Amino acid sequence: MAPKKKEEPKPAAPAAPKPQEPERPKTPEFDPATVTLEFTPEQLEDFKDAFQLFDRTPTSEMKITYAQCGDLIRALGQNPTNVEIMYVLGKPKAEDMQTKMLDFDQFLPIYQHICKAKDRGTFEDFVEGLRVFDKEGNGTVMGAELRHVLATLGEKMREDEVEQLMQNQEDANGCINYEAFVKYIMAS
Amino acid sequence: MGCGVSKSSQFNKHSRKAIRAAVLIQRWYRQYVARTEMRRRYTWHIFQSIEYSGEQAQIKLYNFLGYLMDNFTPSSTERNLISHIFRENDVCWDSEWERYFCYKNIEVPEVYSGPHLTFPLTVEQAVGLLEAFRSKKQLHSRYVLELLLETWKLLRMLPNINRISTCHSKEITICGDLHGQLEDLLLIFYKNGTPSLEKPYVFNGDFVDRGKDSIEILLILFSFMLVYPCDVYLNRGNHEDHIINLRYGFTKEVLTKYKIHGKRILKLLQKIFSWLPLATIIDQKVLVLHGGISDSTDLSVLTKVNRYNYVSALRPPKRRNHSSAGMSIDIDMDDDLWSTSKIYQRRASLTYPKPLGPRECFHNRSLQDFSTRIKANMENELEHSKRREVILAAALHRSQQDILSASTDSMNSDNAKDEWRQILDLLWSDPMNQDGCIPNEVRGGGCYWGPDVTEDFLNRHNMQLIIRSHECKQEGYEFCHNRKVLTLFSASNYYDVGSNRGAYVKLGPDLVPYVIQYQASSMTRELTARQSVGRTERSALKVLREQLFAHKSDLLCAFKKVDTKNAGLVSLIDWASAVESVMHLNLPWRMLRCQLVTCKSSDGMIDYYDWFNELAIKGPNTDHIDQSLLETLYRHRSTLETIFRIVDTDNSGFISMEDFRQTWKLLSVYLKMAITDEDICNLAETIDSNHDGSIDIDEFMEAFRLTDKKSRLERGRSMFMATTSDLTKLEGDPNV
Repeated sequence: MAPKKKEEPKPAAPAAPKPQEPERPKTPEFDPATVTLEFTPEQLEDFKDAFQLFDRTPTSEMKITYAQCGDLIRALGQNPTNVEIMYVLGKPKAEDMQTKMLDFDQFLPIYQHICKAKDRGTFEDFVEGLRVFDKEGNGTVMGAELRHVLATLGEKMREDEVEQLMQNQEDANGCINYEAFVKYIMAS
Repeated sequence: MGCGVSKSSQFNKHSRKAIRAAVLIQRWYRQYVARTEMRRRYTWHIFQSIEYSGEQAQIKLYNFLGYLMDNFTPSSTERNLISHIFRENDVCWDSEWERYFCYKNIEVPEVYSGPHLTFPLTVEQAVGLLEAFRSKKQLHSRYVLELLLETWKLLRMLPNINRISTCHSKEITICGDLHGQLEDLLLIFYKNGTPSLEKPYVFNGDFVDRGKDSIEILLILFSFMLVYPCDVYLNRGNHEDHIINLRYGFTKEVLTKYKIHGKRILKLLQKIFSWLPLATIIDQKVLVLHGGISDSTDLSVLTKVNRYNYVSALRPPKRRNHSSAGMSIDIDMDDDLWSTSKIYQRRASLTYPKPLGPRECFHNRSLQDFSTRIKANMENELEHSKRREVILAAALHRSQQDILSASTDSMNSDNAKDEWRQILDLLWSDPMNQDGCIPNEVRGGGCYWGPDVTEDFLNRHNMQLIIRSHECKQEGYEFCHNRKVLTLFSASNYYDVGSNRGAYVKLGPDLVPYVIQYQASSMTRELTARQSVGRTERSALKVLREQLFAHKSDLLCAFKKVDTKNAGLVSLIDWASAVESVMHLNLPWRMLRCQLVTCKSSDGMIDYYDWFNELAIKGPNTDHIDQSLLETLYRHRSTLETIFRIVDTDNSGFISMEDFRQTWKLLSVYLKMAITDEDICNLAETIDSNHDGSIDIDEFMEAFRLTDKKSRLERGRSMFMATTSDLTKLEGDPNV
C-alpha cells in the first residue's frame, strides 16, 4: 500500500497577488458601457488639463497611449494596483501598450471605475502595513528588509524604483521611522 | 507533521499581511511617481513653451524687418537702420576678405596671460586652449581672428555633406547641442577623451547661444578640427545664424568679451557659419544632422547647393535687381517668400488637408495684423502724415493681394525655393508620433515629420538611422520612430540646475548607438529626484509669473469680459480659459492654479485684482512714464533689446538719440503700441542723464527693470537674455 501521500504545503502566498480587490470569483471583462459617470463639470475640466499634459500628439488630439493610462490615473490622485489597471484596459497585450490609444471619452469610464473601487488605503492603513515589518515595535523598520520586501513581494518594484523611494530615508543605523516615511510619500 | 502545518499557517498569515503591506506601499509609491512625473512634465512644458515662443517671436521679428527692407526705398531712415543685417557680405574676393580680417596689425600686449597660438596648430596647443578656458582665461582677439581665418579656409574645402566611416574599428563619438555650456564639453572630453586620430568626433550643431561660453566652445571645436581635420566634423545648427544670435546672447557675449574687435569677429563668424557643413553620413548608413528631415528632403539636392549663400537660414539668398527707376534694390528671389507662412499654407494644403492644430501660427495671422496696425497707426498720425507710413500701407495692401496669388517668378526661383526650404527643414524640424509632415508652427521654422516619412527617407537612401539634436530631452537622449530616429542633447541642466542630463553617443562598426549620460555640476547629484523637480518647478513658475505680469492689461481685459457683474471675481474655469486666450502657451492652467494664485478667494472664485497685486514686480522709479507703456516694454523686452542691437550698427552698446527715436517708430508699428514723441522724449531723458545724445542699451534695459540684475545673477541664466557676467555657475566637478 502506498504511503499516505502528504499534501504539498500550499505556498505561503498566492502566486499572483490580488490583494486589495474585493474577492471576485471569476472577473468578467471590463465593460466601459456599464459605468455611469458621476463627475462634476469642474472635475471634468481638471481631468482635461491633466489629460492634455500627457497628450504627446503635436496637434493636441487629446489622445494618450495605454501605457500612459496608469500614470494619468495615479497623477490624478488614485492609487490602483497594476493588475487593476490592466483589468480596466481590457487586459491588453504588452505590445499594445505603446501603440493603442485612448481618447478622453474612453478614459472617463475607466477612471470612474477606479475611483469607485473600495479600500483605497488611508494614512493609517499605510502605517499599519509598515508596522508589519516593525520587528521591535519601536516605530522603525529596517531599510534593508523593506527594500527586500518591495522588490520581491506583491507587485514587485525594480531596484531603481526602490532606490528612488528609499533615497535619503534611512538613518545611520539603516532604520526608517515609518510614520515619517508615510507622510513623506503622501505629501507629494 | 503537525508542527510543519501550524508553522506554515502562521507563516501564511504573516506573509499575507506582508504582501498586503507591500502592495499598499507599492501602490502609493507608484502614485507618488506619477504625481512627480506630472509636475516634471508641466514644468518642462512651461520652459519649452516659453523657449519656442521666443524662437517664433524672433523669426516673426526678422520677417517683419525683412518685409520693411523690401518695401522701403533705399534712402529711407528705417531701412538704413536695419539694412546692414540683411546686407550680404559685400566683399566677394578672398584676398579682400583676408585683408579685411587681417589680424597681423593687432598687437598682443605683454600683460596678456592667456594662451599664445602659432599656426599650423598642434595638438598640444589645442589641449592648452582647453586648459586655459577651464581656468577662465580668454583668448586674445588676434589669435581668435587668426584661428577663425584658418578655420574658414578649411571649411571652404569641405562638402555640404561629410561622409565618414568607422573603419579600423574606430568608434565615432557624436555630441548634440552644447549651447555655450563649456562645463559640459569639458565633461565629455574628460569622460571620453579629447578628439584624436583614434577618437573621431561629430558635433551636431547649436554650439552657441544661451550659455555663457559660446565663443570658447567654438574656439575649442575649431582648433581640434584644424589639428585633426579628418577626425573632427561639425554640422551646422539653427543657432549658427547671426539673426538668432542677436536675440539669444551670442552676439552680446562676443561684443562684451571682445570690445574692440568683436564686430570683426562676428562678421567672420557669419561667414564661417554659412560654410559649416549641413550633415554628416557615417558608413553610408547613419545620417547625422541638427534638426531633421521633411517629406521633401533630398540629399542629392542638398549635396549640390551653394551652402555659403545661406548666411542666415531664415532668408533665401538675395538677387540684385534693377527697378524701373534705375535704382538698385535688394529684392528677394521671391517676393512672396518673405514670410515663411506662405510656404506653410501651400504645404499644409498638399500634405495635410485637415486644418492646422490649435497652436496658432503667428505667421499666418501676421500679414493681416500688420495692415490693420499700420492703418490704425496712420489714423493716429494723420496730422504728421509722414511719407513712409503711406508707402508702407500702400505696399502692404498691394502685396497682400500679390502674396495671396502666387506669381510665377524667374526660372531659377523654383529651385531656389526648394533649396531654401530643404535647408530650413534640415536645421529646424522636429519628429512627431503621427504619420505625415506638417509645418512646425511652434518654432516658426521647419516641419514636424512622422514615422512614415522616416521610413520612406531611410529606404530611399538605403540608410538605417537618423541622429539629430535640436530638442532638449530629460535623459539627454530619446529614441523615436521605432528606434530609427535618435535625439541627442548634450547641454545638461539646460533649463535650470537639475532639469536634465546631457548625453553623447558612440558608434562602432556595428552602428549600434551606445549612449552615455552625464550631468554637470556636483550640486545636482546631491539633490534627490524629488528635490530636483521641486527646484526646477519653482524656477519655471517664477518665469511664468513674470510672463503673466507682463500681460497684465490684456489679462485684465479678458477677465472684465467674463466678469459681467464687475465684481472683480472670476470662476476657475473662466480664469483658466481667459489666461490661455491671452498667453497662448497651451499650459494646464487649472493644475497650475494652486501655485500661481495663492490669494484666498471666496467660494471658488478668484479675485483678480488681488492676484495682480500678488504678481506685481516692483516697478522702477518711473512714475512719470505711462504704466501701460512700461508693461509693453516689459513684455517685449527681448524683442526690444534685439532691435537695439540691430540698430547699434557699430556694436558699441550705445545708440544715438535720433536712432533711439527711430527705433520706437519701428517698434510702434510692430507691436501695436501707440507711442507719441513726447513719450519717447520722456523715456530718453530718463536714460540719457548726461545729455550727451547717446543711450546705453544695457543701462536702459536695467533702468526700467526690463532686466532684473539680481535675479539674473541668482538664476545664472535668463530665459530671455543670456548674460556673460554669470557669477553663479558652480565649478564643475568632472568626476561624475
